[in-house]
Amino acid sequence: MRIKITHTILVIFALLTFSCDDYLDLRPQDGTVRQDFWKTKEDIKAAVIGIYSSMLNSPPSVSDRTLAEYLFMYGELRGDMIAPGPNVIDEQTDVITSNILPSNSITSWATFYRIINYCNTVIDLAPAVLEEDPTLTQEQLDNYLAEALTIRAYMYFTLARSFKDVPLKLEATLSDEDNFQLPVTPQQQIFEQVKIDLEKAESLATEDYGNIPENKGRITKHAINAIQTDVYLWTGEYQNALEAADKVINSGNYSLIVATNNWFNTVYARGNSSESIFEFQYTPQNLNPFYNIFLQRPQFLAAPSVLEDVFGVDYDDPENKDIRGERAAMVPGTNEIYKYTGLNENERKALQNSDTHWFVYRYAGVLLLKAEVLNQLGRGAEALEIIEEIREAREAIQATSQNVNPDNKNAVTDYILAERSRELAFEGKRWFDILRNARRNEYERLDILIAVAINSAPPSQQQSIVNKLQDPNSHYLPINEYELYTNKELTQNPFYN
Amino acid sequence: MNKVLNTAFFWRLSLLAVLAIVIINCTSEKYKESTDETLNITGYLENNTEQYSMFLEILETTNYSTFMNTYGTYTLFLPTNQAVQNYLNEEGFSSISDIPIEDLEDLAKLHVLEERIETTSFNDGKISTPSMQGQYLITGAVNIDGSSNITVNKDARITTSNIEVGNGIIHVIDKVLKVANKTLAKMIDNNESLSIFATALKETGWYEVLDKPLTYDNDSIPSYLTVIAQSDEVFSQNGINSYTELEDTYSHLNNPTNPKDSLNLFVAYRIIPGLNYLADLVGTSTVLTKAPLEVIGIKLKRDSIVLNEETFNGVFEEGVAIKRDASDITASNGAIHFVDDNFFIKKRFPSPVYFDPADQPEFRQLSAVFRKPGNYASLNSSELSEINYEGSYDLTYASPPIGDRTGRGWHGDVLELVRFRTGVTNNLEFTTPVIIKGQYKVWVSYRASDRQPRVKAFFNGQELPRIANFSEYGNTELPERVLESQGYKRHIYPYDNAFYSRLMGIINVETTGRHKFMLQSTEYAGYNTWLDVIEFRPVDMDQLYPKFESGGDGLIYESDIN
Repeated sequence: MRIKITHTILVIFALLTFSCDDYLDLRPQDGTVRQDFWKTKEDIKAAVIGIYSSMLNSPPSVSDRTLAEYLFMYGELRGDMIAPGPNVIDEQTDVITSNILPSNSITSWATFYRIINYCNTVIDLAPAVLEEDPTLTQEQLDNYLAEALTIRAYMYFTLARSFKDVPLKLEATLSDEDNFQLPVTPQQQIFEQVKIDLEKAESLATEDYGNIPENKGRITKHAINAIQTDVYLWTGEYQNALEAADKVINSGNYSLIVATNNWFNTVYARGNSSESIFEFQYTPQNLNPFYNIFLQRPQFLAAPSVLEDVFGVDYDDPENKDIRGERAAMVPGTNEIYKYTGLNENERKALQNSDTHWFVYRYAGVLLLKAEVLNQLGRGAEALEIIEEIREAREAIQATSQNVNPDNKNAVTDYILAERSRELAFEGKRWFDILRNARRNEYERLDILIAVAINSAPPSQQQSIVNKLQDPNSHYLPINEYELYTNKELTQNPFYN
Repeated sequence: MNKVLNTAFFWRLSLLAVLAIVIINCTSEKYKESTDETLNITGYLENNTEQYSMFLEILETTNYSTFMNTYGTYTLFLPTNQAVQNYLNEEGFSSISDIPIEDLEDLAKLHVLEERIETTSFNDGKISTPSMQGQYLITGAVNIDGSSNITVNKDARITTSNIEVGNGIIHVIDKVLKVANKTLAKMIDNNESLSIFATALKETGWYEVLDKPLTYDNDSIPSYLTVIAQSDEVFSQNGINSYTELEDTYSHLNNPTNPKDSLNLFVAYRIIPGLNYLADLVGTSTVLTKAPLEVIGIKLKRDSIVLNEETFNGVFEEGVAIKRDASDITASNGAIHFVDDNFFIKKRFPSPVYFDPADQPEFRQLSAVFRKPGNYASLNSSELSEINYEGSYDLTYASPPIGDRTGRGWHGDVLELVRFRTGVTNNLEFTTPVIIKGQYKVWVSYRASDRQPRVKAFFNGQELPRIANFSEYGNTELPERVLESQGYKRHIYPYDNAFYSRLMGIINVETTGRHKFMLQSTEYAGYNTWLDVIEFRPVDMDQLYPKFESGGDGLIYESDIN
């Protein structure tokens, strides 16, 4: 009897201690630990592809917005081409009306830093695989590193354009002992780092993956050059920007597609066209987030003035229209944003086929960046030629053409901006275009930004918004209060104190 | 047996004890004993005395510190010690206790709102909730030396905003807000640059009106007034250098106190009922003034506010701009704005308005559809800025193909309703074009068909006497003047009896401006309804001619036909 009881107790104890033990096992249930990973070139490839897929949609364990949504909101909400839709949330309206508080969840940069960390992990750990896996060549490794470096650079480039000063973390966060308490790095230094990374990536990257989807969906040398053009324009290094733009243009890989009934379907609905340089490759298996926010429960609409003021309307001849406007960027009347949900001029995609890509860089965008560079270099006439080339390809209408003196830098700038608003409508570029041109030469063209605010602000808030925007710090987003709470080294943008 | 039981009992007991120890060990948790440690407003001040001790002293002296520490939703505009000290120096007090207690109470209450308001809901004008003192606070933004701040009452800058506390929210300001204790009349009188305007106020008797303290009527609506003042400089730009010259120019009865005298109207036209800061004015297109039934038209043109700028019958009339920086002055009983040019009531005579209900700005944008035969477009209520209706169905702009009878209305287009009845589309309310004040006959024309409802019309909510039966086809036999006397007309030319026009009644348009015109179906409809034109013709005008060109844009005069 006693033995029986003793045994029972032993068994119970054993069970109790075993069940208590489970949480001591630190191995993740849904992944591989580092000691087992980073052994072969397949591991590197998986990690790099992981970076791309984290740009498409957030991993299942987190529930924040996708990168494409942030890129759209950061690039468009503060511009003048968006109006709140019926399903807009207050936080989005507050960004539209420059009423941004640090508690606004749109200012969360978690998605960006998560992707940066994925990039950092590849950059830190991939080189060691060279010793483990003899089948991995130096060239393959270089290509992978170029991809990670470029994506990290683009993330920081976007953060610095949106938040101004942000923490710069270049090593992977691998354990809890890593230092998370990082102060902000000034915008200028972030840009410097971006330039260094891009230069290094350019020397390592491949030009051709051997198939179109990868050439448009992964980082190639020319995608790097496109980003470089943009970055050098922000830092005012026009000669470098020109060289980078010319590398893209002279590569012969890209061309403008002639205006036909198929143009919208080719460039946008199907994507990966000859106009495309780098796109987020959404597929029917991995849908984009746009169907919901633009069509089913529209958070955003095109601003009512867009059809007439941006694309122009020929009241006498309805057939005479800019192919980029009606039923390409938007639907007249309802002002629905159509670019990401349309299949062709007449039909929308079905929900299960909502795979329109997010367009990071397109050829026409780089051409217009080059025009901007040329104008800054005092070659206004060449800039106007580029505008004309694009306008002709897009069948732009007479109402939106401007007669500009090529020597009048400001007038050429305005024309380029107007053309960019037509060409890149709702592609997350508008606010950055305005800001880049306004802040050039110590905010020489603050008037551009103010004029945009005057035209788009709600009448009852117009004066407050205009006065707020006189402060350059207000052009950037506040650091989210959650980040300030967890990272005591951060200092808030003084405008938001 | 007993022993065995005892042993077993002993073992069981010890087993339980061991288990209990093990389990308790596993679940030791520390519970927080307080529910909430968030500070309330007074607590926040007490914890930050180095910055806010003086305002805390104000709250304590006035005995408000207790309720500011109770549960509630407050907004506090909290002046720093430096701000309070500056205030004392300016007002010549040596300490807070020197300020008379009533004034101090008012001052304290002016800084508190009984609602939690974040800076995100501020605009260029007043905060929607008044302060506890009763006065409204106005917000804005200012840029000084390159850095921008939100402001309260024009010159107090918010240095730290949206501090969350247990019973509300705190915005720290760098200046004490002052209670406006002068009336509109006194403020205008004290302003040297307004001497002509002030004299005009006194001579016309409006001074007393503007000098009355704030009162509340039976519905507790306050008696605020808004004045658009005009400086001596503006007068002299218009060749008026003294009050006498102003009187000579305007007073046509030589009795400025007479409400019918033009000078009295000149002043009355500058007084707007209600508390209207500029941000309130830009939200409306017209405001009524104290001049009987006279309105001021308001337009936001880029960033300037212009008064009475309109295009009438194709003629552009330039407006008068408000001086934005100088305006938005708060008085105890209202607000004052300034204009940069002279303006006066525009004398206008009633003129006809032919309102095509299908001509909506959103349809007009669809250049491929609008007035292009064979095209249709549908939009719903939320997409149409100038039409409201009940029901979730779209309204359709229809420009039927050439040859289609429905295309024989004016401009060849109609506004189509799927079914004009409750449950589908009803209470269809239009914003009319500008109608000049006067008396008008209202004609509604439609494309007739079977199974159409009877329709009532309302002008600004007031029902018109007659009912139109939309299934009634045009009478082609009776002479048109006889028909007119019966309240019908064949409004298009050449005529097609599928179109018919019905006199709904006579309206009195009291103010010049855009108005609301509503059509209401009173019964079942079994087919689409189409609207062609809604005419507002002055009563003394010919009600038949001009007619409308069938399928075209022209107007057909009697002389064109004979």
